[in-house]
This record gives sequence, structure tokens and C-alpha cells, in this order.
Amino acid sequence: MTRAITLLRRLRAVFFKGVLDGDLDEEIRTHLEMQREENERRGMSPEEARRAALRSFGGVEQVKEKYRRRRGLPVVETTLQDLRYAARMLLKHKGTTAVAVLSLTLGIGANTALFSVVDAMLLKMLPVEEPENLVLFKSLAPPRFNPGSYNGTSDTDLATGQQVMSSFPHQSFRSMRERPGALTDVMSFGYISGGLNVSADGRADVAGAQAVSGNYYEVLGVRPLLGRALTDGDDRAGADPVAVISHRYWQQRFGGAGSAVGKQINLNGVAFTLVGVTPQGFEGTMDVGSILDVTIPIAWEPQVVKARSRMTGAGVWWLRLIGRLKPGATREQARASLENAFRQSVAEHRVARQAQAQASGGSAIGDLEPGDYPRLALDPGGQGEMSTRRSYAPSLYLLLGVVGLVLLVACANVANLLLSRAAARQKEFAVRAALGAGRLRLIRQLLTESLLLSAAGGALGVLFALWLKNGLLAVGEWGGGGLRGLEPKLDWRVFAFTAGLSLSTGILFGSAPAWRSTRVDLTPALKEGGRGSSVASRSWLGRGLVVSQVALSLLLLIGAGLFVRTLVNLRSVEPGFNTRNLLLFNAQPALLGYKEERLEGVYRQIAERLETVPGVRAVTFSSSPLLARHRSTRSVYLRGALTAAPDAEGRVKPSGPGHIHQVRENFLEAMEIPLLAGRGLRPQDDARSPRVAVVNQTFADEYFPGEYPVGKRFAFDHKKPDEVEIVGVAGDAKYSSQRAEIPPTMYVSWRQELPGMVWGVTYEVRTAGDPKGFVAAVREAVRGVDGGLPLDNVKTQIEQADETLARERLFAKLLTLFGLLAQLLAAIGLFGVMAYAVAQRTREIGIRMALGASRRRVLRMVLRQGMSLTLTGIATGLAGAYLLLRYLGSRTDLSEMLYGVEVADPFVYVVMAILLTLVTLAACYVPARRATRVNPLVALRNE
Amino acid sequence: MPESKNDVLPGTLNLMILKTLAALGRLHGYGVARRIEQTSGDLLQLNQGTIYPALLHLEQMGWITSEWGASDNNRRAKFYAITRAGRRRLAAEEENWRRATAIVARFLESAGEGL
Repeated sequence: MTRAITLLRRLRAVFFKGVLDGDLDEEIRTHLEMQREENERRGMSPEEARRAALRSFGGVEQVKEKYRRRRGLPVVETTLQDLRYAARMLLKHKGTTAVAVLSLTLGIGANTALFSVVDAMLLKMLPVEEPENLVLFKSLAPPRFNPGSYNGTSDTDLATGQQVMSSFPHQSFRSMRERPGALTDVMSFGYISGGLNVSADGRADVAGAQAVSGNYYEVLGVRPLLGRALTDGDDRAGADPVAVISHRYWQQRFGGAGSAVGKQINLNGVAFTLVGVTPQGFEGTMDVGSILDVTIPIAWEPQVVKARSRMTGAGVWWLRLIGRLKPGATREQARASLENAFRQSVAEHRVARQAQAQASGGSAIGDLEPGDYPRLALDPGGQGEMSTRRSYAPSLYLLLGVVGLVLLVACANVANLLLSRAAARQKEFAVRAALGAGRLRLIRQLLTESLLLSAAGGALGVLFALWLKNGLLAVGEWGGGGLRGLEPKLDWRVFAFTAGLSLSTGILFGSAPAWRSTRVDLTPALKEGGRGSSVASRSWLGRGLVVSQVALSLLLLIGAGLFVRTLVNLRSVEPGFNTRNLLLFNAQPALLGYKEERLEGVYRQIAERLETVPGVRAVTFSSSPLLARHRSTRSVYLRGALTAAPDAEGRVKPSGPGHIHQVRENFLEAMEIPLLAGRGLRPQDDARSPRVAVVNQTFADEYFPGEYPVGKRFAFDHKKPDEVEIVGVAGDAKYSSQRAEIPPTMYVSWRQELPGMVWGVTYEVRTAGDPKGFVAAVREAVRGVDGGLPLDNVKTQIEQADETLARERLFAKLLTLFGLLAQLLAAIGLFGVMAYAVAQRTREIGIRMALGASRRRVLRMVLRQGMSLTLTGIATGLAGAYLLLRYLGSRTDLSEMLYGVEVADPFVYVVMAILLTLVTLAACYVPARRATRVNPLVALRNE
Repeated sequence: MPESKNDVLPGTLNLMILKTLAALGRLHGYGVARRIEQTSGDLLQLNQGTIYPALLHLEQMGWITSEWGASDNNRRAKFYAITRAGRRRLAAEEENWRRATAIVARFLESAGEGL
């Protein structure tokens, strides 16, 4: 306590030096006066009294100095002194300082921005109570385990070949909640696919939604901002329908009004009471970045999503489970304590499936062998669902590596600048050393300067990061609406990162120059025109830095080249249909309560209304858009497959998969996909007429090689052989993405596949001009059919295709930006080193020229010196890039991120090496020109 | 310079200042210095100025407080007073000092006999 107060007092003394010095002066003056008066009273003469007073006081200045030293904090005072001096030095050399600060700003800013994304995507914990005690449930099943209907992520664990499944059936939740073992409780939550149609205050829109168990908020320890959270009482049959909304939705839909709580809202036509608003920043426990604005109890899921419910019959595996560990319990204990309950629930689900299959007359489902049961696995649950996070991790770490390299190049640059400047300051150091400054004191001075530089770079870097974060690194650029809910923030965590980064970069680039340049040999340094003895080692270090800068920037440039080529390749992929002048939007009338029999009419009416819009050339619709990563596959059974024996599950092995596209009859014409043989789909191909399909060339080649496919038959269902007749063959067109191989594709009429289209369709509107100009007219036309029908995802086909390439675009853009940046920094570094070398060799060059060397020769000599550095760097960079990229290609998904280009693409390597050579040649040319202007007379006289 | 004068032993100046303030109450720097000289019977070689860093130290430790006031003949002077913590400290120091001198005294006596 007292120590702290003392420290504070002393610290205060540092800043109020002037006032306190005045106080001390006055106190001493009074003292001397009093002594003088007493001396006079004793009979001394005034002059004698004054002198005696001073004598008995002792040395006034010594006392003051001692007093001051005790009063203040010498460390702080000298640091302040260092800082003032450092600031003066930096301001004096504005050019160098500006270049150094700019380098650091770019380096630190890029790292800060990327860290904010990494933090939000990978590192941050959920804003809930004690997130470290939460566990996320997974199950590990042998590859032959078939859960029946499944909705969630399912990855194959490469090491064991097992399926890792994220979702569970409601039986598992109930069973484990009843016997939670080493957990205090278990809760569950699941997506409501397609969201909910919310109508309130006379408006309708579609909101992302989830269904949760009643104890969801209690287990997490999340208290609502307004109203109340859902409870177990809400999650049982017969309870009143209640819903909770997110803070975001509350702001955006209800204007943040307190009266929102208690309001009646319609969710898919069912009346709910809005009972609460969750706090800001709590985005639920689902995949990071997903927007789940409306939350309802699981008990109400069947009434709200009706036919699509995942709770009816045996039920779908769709619930994610999170539990909270009892104090002191480990995840392994919890897992062991739940294993039995889980196993029983799987058996229970199996029995329910068997009963369901029997009731519907389907084929029998066998019992599970003991070895076929899935096993439970508990992961840390403090970040909620992890699949999305994990899928982004490799790209993020790759980019983090890239910006790390940029920072290294920037550091090398600043180190080089400091070295050059330190060389020019040899005399100053020598003077200070001669006046008694220790080497450590000098090093401290120089480090203070570097830290000041890096602090300035860090502060400006935050601004740069802000710009990057809202622009190039904005969430939209990461691709996919799935991340819309993610908002990386520059919060204290990010600032702490930036501060730490600035500090360590300051030390990193500052210490070597400081160490080198304070090794002062006094005598020669002080001599007129003297050059410090550390010149040789200085240039050695400087050259090493330049070589590594060149090498690192070549590495980045090669990376940029690979991704730019990938992007160019993907953009020039021929999709097989005309992407220009095509406007897309989604319509989901079913959310408004349209039943299947009326949907057909609505879909048709919208299309017909759109066709009347002037300038619209064709209107079609399909179950999903093209080039949007949407994929729907079906098993295809040829006759041969049906004669083979069924497997243990009682399933008949299909001939293979086919991608299915349910479309309006005019789809091929509207999309400009050529018909190669047979006929297209017709309105007459409806639910009452025989099933027909148009297949693409790949399908024909795959399943009917060497045969004329038109008139051939296949089946989607092994119990209905030969059901579908191929009536036409269409040209190949890309389906889910530009990158994926064109799959065997079947186009079937929407009239024969209405059940597959009830949850909405994508309209494709072919326009005469820029499709963006038609948005308002299209909205108007749709409103004419149903005013309550929201248009979703309005975009052009080209925008859609670009969105699918988001990750490639992001990498190409960032790597190009950073590669060019690094190259610029390297050029500046090289320029500095060469300029310095020329200055050092002025005398030598003068002698050479006096002895008859031509200017050309001098120019060549200097350029050769510069280029030897560059070429060393380029050779190192080429070898390094090859080794590193090959390693990354084999260890990460880098190879899959590239398209049409190998990691060792010779074209990219050569082009980038030449580009870098040219840039560095330019950087050397300026100092070399200066060397040729050396006047031999002046150069020699100078010595 | 009179040769009989002793230098101030390290650490004893603080003790003397505390004792002075404890005995006389509120006092300015000059008063403290004069009092120490008088009490030591002018046997002590005291540079009066050295009490100021010492006073600062005692104040930093919280053993004394200071405030500006008017002296007898209306001069602005800084007055020092001992705090409760200072009195405790003084008691402890006095005890230490007594013990130390007793030990040294005993040592000197016995050493005279035995060695």
C-alpha cells in the first residue's frame, strides 16, 4: 500500500517537476533566512551571518540534487528524456521516418485486420457463463452405419475412416437428459431449414430460425435483455406458443421498441407471443456467422414446419447437443457416463424406423450389429458448433502466414533504414560515448526510437486495419451468406494483439541495428570525415536483410500468381449456359401457408406476370440456382443394378448418382443450354403423364456409353424400374460450381416433381439489357401476385457466380496486394543499401574514373553489385517458394484451392522472378546513375 | 573545523528527526535542524541541508506529514508533523537502537576482559 502511494507520489513528482522545484527553493530560502537572523541576533555582521548560514547548511546544489533524485523516478525521467530525444530525431529525418512508419503501418495493419477475423472465427468463446465447462456432442460411427434421415455435418475422419456426425435424433437428447451422468444438464438446438416466414405489424419477411429445448438458455446461463427466455414450461405439449428473438432482429424489425415484448407474431401462419429478446453479442451456439433471429421451443417445431418436421415418425438426426460439466468432472468421465444412454437411444431410434418402414410398406431395416453402433464423443463446447469454424481454419491460417511474411519484409525494411541512419550517426554516438554515455544507454536510446516508430506504425495500423476489415476483408468477401452474422470487431483483444505485435516488431527490427551501430570505436569515428569501423559488418547485415526481403516478396508474388491464374481459369470456365443478362431471385410462397395444390398456380402466375414486363425475354424457374454450390443428387437405377443382390440393410445398390434439377419446361431455352438430341420438356409432361427426363451429355456417356440415349429408361426408385424415360439430351452445363466437374445431370419437369419444389424456387429472368435495371419491375410484378411474398437473394447470375468464387477472389486480391507491397518494400530496401554503398565507394569510383574507367563501366559495376544481391534473393525465393508451396500443397488443402495450375507452375515462377528483377533493377539504377556523376576531382579532394 | 565533531551515523538522522517531531510537535525544517544540533550539544557534524532529503523520505514513507504555514515572524515555511505510523516507527527504531547499543556495549566490555 505505502509503496504504491510512494510510487504514485514519485510519479506525480516527475510530471510536476517545475512546481515542486519552486517549493524546495522556497523552503531552503526560508531556512537560510532564519539561520541568518539568528546569527545576526548573536551579534554577527549581516554579511558574516549570511555566510555562516550557508556554511552550516552545506552544499545547496548537492542537497537539491539529492532531494530531486529521491523525489522523482529516475527511470521514468530518463525514459521521458529518451522519448523526447527520439521524437526529435525521428522528426528531423522526416523521409526515413515516413517510409519506416508506412512500412510498419501496412504490416501491422494487415496483421491486425486478419487477427480480428481469426479471433471472431476461430478463437473467441461464446458470451455465456463459464464457456470452458460446456461440451459439444459428436458421434463417431463406422462408415456402414446408416442413421436414416440425417441433417447436419458429417465428415469422414481420415485417420480412422469413421463418420463424425454433428447431429442426434430427439431420442438421444431425451435419453441423455434423463441420465446426464457427469453433466449437470444437456440442451439441444436445431436449424429450421429455410427459416420462418414472420408476419408482424402488417409486414412479412423471412427470418433465420432455430428450435431449442426448454433448458437451452438456462444451461448456457444467458439472461434475456428484455422479457424472459424460453423455459422447460414452454417446451411441452399444450404449452402456449412463445418465441424469443435476437437483439439484431429486434433492432431491425421492431426498431428496438420495448413494446415488442408481448406482441403477437405469426410464424409460418401460427400465432406466437414474442416473450423476450436475447442480449446483444449472443448469436446462439450454431455455426459461427449464421443468423438465427427467431428461436422457438422444439415442442412447436412440428406445428410450425408441418410436413417438413423432423420430429414426426422416427425423427431425423437433426439436433445438436451441448452439455455442462459438473464441477470437477472431465470430458472423458462425462462421455463414459453417457455412453450407455446414447447407445440405448440409437437402438430406440432404430426400432422406431423399423416400425415406420413396416407401416409404410417399405423394405425391412435390419438390426444393428454390436460393432456398428456409433460412439459418443465430447468436444469442448465453449465455442458452440465448430464445423464452419474448422472449415475456414486452413484458409485463415494461410492468410495469417501471408500477412506475417509482409510484416517480416516490413521489419527488414525498417531495420535497414535504421542501419543506414545509424551509420550516418556514428559521430553523434561517438560524441555521446566520449561524454560518458554507456553502450547500454545508447542501445536504450536507439531501442526507444524503434519502439516509438513501431508504436506510430501500430496506431496507424489500426486505422489501416479498420479500412481493410470493412473492405477487402469484409465478411461478404469470405463468401457465402452463411457468414452474414459474423462481425469481427476491433475490440480490446485485437488491440492487445496489436500492441504486443508493435512492441515485438519494434524490438525485432530495432535490436540488431542498435547492437551493431553502438559498437563505436571512438578515435576514427570522431575524426573529420571519418567512417565508423562497423561499416563492413553494417553492410553485411544490410545485404542479408535485402536478400531475405527479395526472397520473401518473391514468395508472396508467386503465391499471388498462382491464385490470380486460378481465378482467371475459373472465370474463363465455359459454364455451358449464358450467364449474361440473367436476374435471379428466390421465392418461398410455402412459408406463407400456400399448400401444394395452390403452389403450382402461384409459381406459374409469377412466371407469367414476369413475362409481361417489357424487356424481359424469358422467365423460367428451377429448384435451385446454378453455380451457387447448391446440389441435389438422386440415385439412378439402371436395369442391371436391379438384378444384383441387396446389401445387409436391405438396400439395392444404385448404378450411381445423378444430379437432379427440377425446372420449368422452358429452362433449357431460357438458360441457352443447347438441346443435342430428342426433345425438351413440355407442359404436357405433368403429374398424370409418364415420367420423362432430359439428361446432359455426361449422363448419357456415363450410363449409356456408345448407345443412343433418347428412349432409354432408368429409375429413381428401385421398386419402380424403368419409370423414367429419357426424351432428350442437353449440352453439358456446370451445376454447383465452376470448379466441380460437370456431373451427370437430369432435368425433370417441375410438374412431375412438385414435392421437391414446395419449399421455394429460384426464378431466372432473362432480360434484354442490364438485369440490375429490372429489379424494381420484377418486385412490382411479384407483388401483383401476392403482396405478402418477400423476394429473397435478388442478384444477377454473374454476381451469383462471383460469390461462388469468393474465396479464390479473396486470396487473389489479398496476395496480389501484399505481394506488390512486399515488392515495393524490398525495392525501397535495395535502393537504400545501394545508395549507401555508392556513397561509401565515392572515393574508389573517383580513382577508377581518374584512371580512365568510362561511365558505362561504372554504371555496370554498381548495377552488378546490386543485381548480385537481387539474384541471390531471387534464387533463394524460388527455391523457398518451391519447397514451401510443395509442402503446403501436400499438407493443406492448398492444391484444392488452386484450379488449372500446379503449385510448381513454371510460368508463374518465371514471370514473377522477371517482374521482381525489373523492379529491383530500377531500384538499383538510381544510385548507379549517381555513381556515374561522381566527379573524380571532387571525390579525391574530399578525403 | 573542530575535530571533536562526529559525523552523523547512517540511519540515525531519520531517528533523530522523528524523535524531535515527536517531542516538539509541528516544526519547520530549520527548527528540526537547530533542535538536533542543540540536543547533540554541538558535538555532531550536521550539514543542515541534509535533513531535507531525509524529511522527504520520511514523508514518502507516510511517517510524517507536511503543510505550508506561517512562522513566528510571519514567514512562509513548510511545517512537519509526525503521524501515528511515524510514532510506531519511532518506537520500533528506539527499541532497535537500544538493543544495538546494548549489544555493542556488552561486546566492548567482555572483549576487554577476554581477548
